[in-house]
Amino acid sequence: MSSHPQPHPLALAMSRRQFLAKAAALGVTVTAASAYLAVGAPTVSAGAPAGGRYPPATPFRTGRPAGEAAPKDAPAAPRALASEDDRVAHLLWRAGFGASAAELARFRGMGLQATIDHLVDFEGVDDSALEARLAEQEFDLEGRVNHIQRWQLQRMAYTERPLQEKMTLFWHGILTSSRKKTGAGPQTLQQNELFRSQGMGRYTDLLKAVSRDPAMMVYLDSRSNRKAAPNENYSRELMELFTLGIGHFSEEDVRESARAFTGWQLRRKREFRFNKRHHDFGEKTFLGQTGAFDGDDVVDIIMAQPAAADYICRRLWRFFAYDDPEPAVVARLSAIFRAHDTEIRPVVRAMLESDEFYSDRAVGAHVKSPVELAVGAVRALEVSTNFAAIARMTDKMGQALFVPPNVAGWPGGAAWINSSALLQRINFANAIAGARSNQLRFDPVGVLGGHAAGGSGALVDFLGDLLLGARLRPEQRAILAARLDGLPAASNNARLRSAAYLVLASPDFQLV
Amino acid sequence: MLISRRQFVKGSIAVVPAATLMPTFLVRAVAASVHEQQGSDAPMGNRVLVVVQMAGGNDGLNTIVPEDDAAYHDLRGELAVAPGDVLPIDGGAGFHPSLAPLKELWDEGALAVVEGVGYPEPSFSHFESMRIWQTADRDGRTYEGWLGRYLDGVAGEQTGDALHSLAVGSRMPRALFAREASVPLVKSVDRYQLQADPRGALNQAARTEALLQLYGASPGAVRFSALLDNTLQSAVRSSEAVQQAHAAYVPAVDYGDSGLAQGLRVLAEAIDAGLGVRVGHVKIGGFDTHAAQASEHPGLLAETAGAIRLFYRDLQAHGHAQDVVVVTWSEFGRRAVANASGGTDHGSAGPMFVAGGPVAGGLYGERPSLTDLVKDNLRFTTDFRQVYASVLEDWLGAPADVVLGGRYERLPLIKRGALAGG
Repeated sequence: MSSHPQPHPLALAMSRRQFLAKAAALGVTVTAASAYLAVGAPTVSAGAPAGGRYPPATPFRTGRPAGEAAPKDAPAAPRALASEDDRVAHLLWRAGFGASAAELARFRGMGLQATIDHLVDFEGVDDSALEARLAEQEFDLEGRVNHIQRWQLQRMAYTERPLQEKMTLFWHGILTSSRKKTGAGPQTLQQNELFRSQGMGRYTDLLKAVSRDPAMMVYLDSRSNRKAAPNENYSRELMELFTLGIGHFSEEDVRESARAFTGWQLRRKREFRFNKRHHDFGEKTFLGQTGAFDGDDVVDIIMAQPAAADYICRRLWRFFAYDDPEPAVVARLSAIFRAHDTEIRPVVRAMLESDEFYSDRAVGAHVKSPVELAVGAVRALEVSTNFAAIARMTDKMGQALFVPPNVAGWPGGAAWINSSALLQRINFANAIAGARSNQLRFDPVGVLGGHAAGGSGALVDFLGDLLLGARLRPEQRAILAARLDGLPAASNNARLRSAAYLVLASPDFQLV
Repeated sequence: MLISRRQFVKGSIAVVPAATLMPTFLVRAVAASVHEQQGSDAPMGNRVLVVVQMAGGNDGLNTIVPEDDAAYHDLRGELAVAPGDVLPIDGGAGFHPSLAPLKELWDEGALAVVEGVGYPEPSFSHFESMRIWQTADRDGRTYEGWLGRYLDGVAGEQTGDALHSLAVGSRMPRALFAREASVPLVKSVDRYQLQADPRGALNQAARTEALLQLYGASPGAVRFSALLDNTLQSAVRSSEAVQQAHAAYVPAVDYGDSGLAQGLRVLAEAIDAGLGVRVGHVKIGGFDTHAAQASEHPGLLAETAGAIRLFYRDLQAHGHAQDVVVVTWSEFGRRAVANASGGTDHGSAGPMFVAGGPVAGGLYGERPSLTDLVKDNLRFTTDFRQVYASVLEDWLGAPADVVLGGRYERLPLIKRGALAGG
């Protein structure tokens, strides 16, 4: 037990808040709002009256249009990833789910370019150990949502092809469907396998496949889209959320493309069939073109729009790099996308090879999703688990795989952080650091023990490199080391668990 | 060498003149309460606005039913509520029969119905229309929500309130996005706390303190660090408060297992514990009734109305009936004409409910015409920002034009000058 009295944590919190409020009232530069600005809030106008926090005349809307994703970076110290080792670590977190110490050393030995090639050209990588591990467990992938969640989480945690699973996760957030609506059956797995097998191919092909995908056809009602009673749900989201974004199509285009998809039905809710009796063979006028279009024609017309390439490249950039990419970055990727006939792989490769991907703007600019957080901790700390408890925990943190909140997928970014979710993220750190059961086991001495002898600083440095890459800030390092030094007499095991807890629960581990 | 947070804070506070600490809204709110004595007798500091979101697009025509309008029956066919079933309001219209609990409040004068609420050039996208309602910005480009902007104004951290706001649900509603105010979001009271490691080397208080130190070090140094810091402080503070309030509370009603009712119960607990909540937010989903509406919609209406009545009765029993105003909203109404799947597609205007002791019950706004439609959709007659302006200004005492970024004609939804009874 600590011998000197500690102030209650709440007392510290309150007084600091008072400070922030007061400092702000004085016009002292305390960037308490910077995080909010970072996710798209309009900047406080420079003309705000000194001494008042709320410029009453112009409470919002300033010169800069405040788009949904218009980050205003905090004035961060330059933290470009200079060393190749740091770039490799950053790449493994972003294009995959982090890495164990051994994996990290192996990829650093290969170098950045070889690691990118290994990740991007994953078809040649042997993943049979993962398949064998999964085959040993008797999953009911059709009947139980918890089973397919555990199956997918294990794929991410134990695969040798991390980018393949990362792309599968990306598409699950874009071309999404919820098992809440599609129900039990093979559809969820079928859609998931579609993303895994075609996620790096031509987007046009993926869209045509997903337009026939049973889970999607149930989720967005296209299976009940008939000539006599057109249903606009799929045709609207195809343009609004999958390909163009709002503002690039009209309500008339929604109605016309719904007609083109009429008669696309499902046999027994699980097999695509074209029912010509319910298809509208008439002429449609869609995005400025007129013809007796069907659904495939609609996809082709959409993908010929300049907005389509920009849209999907922006979504990819947001998912892998940062919000609101520079127009030049989008233009560069869009050109590659078009030059390769809507193929995704060359775009992803260009993204991972770009300087911007390793720039100050990218490093630490992404809030980990609950799945990224959980899988990353398991992968880096070599936690052995059947993921039963972890699947429940990602749900509590706000992300249940295969049950997205709505057709827009998970909003991501700052939306992952709220008081409830943050408590659950910290409780997740507690569950991992304290994992001592057969279903969830962390072996601190085995994973960290070799670095315990060099004192708290060395231990924190090792954990920092493993879990935060180059993002371990000096003051965080100092606080962590001091806390570990100040531990009451504890076993080595307990000390290592405390260290893992504090780093997993730290603010920087919430980011990547 | 690290300066401790406490030293840092101590040193800084001493140089700040007290007069600069009171934010604009608070000053105005206090002044308003002194000079105008508007609304009920609830002191400004006790006043709570509870917002109930009916997500998915509630069918307004089958909420306040224009039963005497032949056009209604033509448009809706089998989906029309049978004339004898409607709970009458005035000559022409009445509540859907599933809204009997709200009719009870209506009969007591504690419910206002604002008809035909919408906005110009309606969006038929759930996401865009929700964003418009929640940001109160037709272009939907503003980051903060309308309630977030209010909280940024009044909920100066210096008030010392444990909780200035509380949202119940899985995700933070856009309406509560704020620049500075960190709104606690509670999904489940049981889980809303930090878990200890009974076999760990550090006790939980020491761990929490270490985390607050880590999160609070060099605010703003990296992106999201201020958000994380504010959120952790809010989480630590509110979880203790919510746990205590929950342990101390004895509800006067049986809230049942409705998610909406349970959410309102969490708010009732916080209100009764005097935690300083000014804004609460709860949500009920499922109103996107494209198909088989007759089997879905009545149950949703019944759950909404029942939960609001339970909440109101519970507040009455605990002596808070005069402290709380409840407002409902939905991102749009539905197409006036029914579709071929026994449902209704996305539409435009719909009614809002405003309930509570301080509310001047009755009908507001104008019933939209069913014969003057725009592509099968109703023309709105009252802008939703008029309702926002009314509760901001007349209930919360906030400058509505500042919060909403424009002037909107208010409706006299809140009783003026009267000490409301019971």
